[in-house]
Amino acid sequence: MYVVIVGCSESGYHLSKALIAGGHEVVVIEKNEGRFQLLNEELGSVALLGDGTDEITLKRAGISRADVVVSLTGADATNLVVSQMTKHMFKVPRTMALIKDPKNEPIFHEIGVDVVVNSTHLVLASLEEGVPGRPLIHLMTLRVPGMELVSVSIPADSNIVGKRLSEIELPPNNFISLMIKKTGATLPTGRSVVEAEDELVAVTLTGDEQILYDILTGV
Amino acid sequence: MRVLIFGCNRLNSSLVGDLSDRGNEITVLGRERDCLESVATFPGVRVVLTAEPMMQDYLQEGGIDHADVFLAMSSDDHENILVAQIAKHIFNVPKVVCHLGSPQLQVMYAALGLDVVGYSFGLLQDVRQAIQG
Repeated sequence: MYVVIVGCSESGYHLSKALIAGGHEVVVIEKNEGRFQLLNEELGSVALLGDGTDEITLKRAGISRADVVVSLTGADATNLVVSQMTKHMFKVPRTMALIKDPKNEPIFHEIGVDVVVNSTHLVLASLEEGVPGRPLIHLMTLRVPGMELVSVSIPADSNIVGKRLSEIELPPNNFISLMIKKTGATLPTGRSVVEAEDELVAVTLTGDEQILYDILTGV
Repeated sequence: MRVLIFGCNRLNSSLVGDLSDRGNEITVLGRERDCLESVATFPGVRVVLTAEPMMQDYLQEGGIDHADVFLAMSSDDHENILVAQIAKHIFNVPKVVCHLGSPQLQVMYAALGLDVVGYSFGLLQDVRQAIQG
């Protein structure tokens, strides 16, 4: 996959390294010269000095053949502009943007940004993760209104421990989409068996959160 | 008319004066304290000093729910694009105008249906004419 990252904060740096390690083609556009130099030393030709909201810079990055554009600058407004430019001027199939102000999330969805990553929610999620007795973590809100991605860790005394996924009845439009075991992540099938301390990533509806949580952790 | 203006600068102060003369009810949101103090002297003008983030809270404090017209007139194109689209798509303000300095962005956002204003087109043309003499 060809991924263009605009704005290289620390998370952008780690993301690009992970993507390169995963065999993806990556270009990182960074406006700040100092940070560009650091990137250039570390990642070489992957780094591109320029403004990610400038048409010419985007063209230099080969934006029209990008599969994904990830906008990670420090300003919500700039991330919105990057997403709209790459989508409308260059027909990039998938756009992702980082936002800081949770109230900006609806407008990002409204104007067609495919994935909105809410940094405030992420910090909240990490906090929730550290609080015992509340293991439902919000990962992200999906583009379809009311749908979200959550993660639930399965307590040892949950009555679904030892059951196959096909035996667990979930509310309509709720799906277990990823199973993270101590040995690694797996794509679950109906035959996958739930074990204590598994991490289940699920698609759910905002109103179903509590029901899903009760089903997965109930004793 | 109830007019909500985002941004306070020299361009806007004359605009606010003009709109105030015509008897409009105006609210100006901005980060520029001095500019806000000066436009607050016009009759019918209310000002709200803003600071990032929580822009939507300020828009609501400025009465965006009841505004007839929203003008995104700050000197930051990206901020203008964000708040203009919030006004249009989230608060359904009947008339939204967005000031943009960048010619590229002017073309794209006009194509996306925003009412875009900006003088760089005229400026480019003026420069071309000046060169050709």
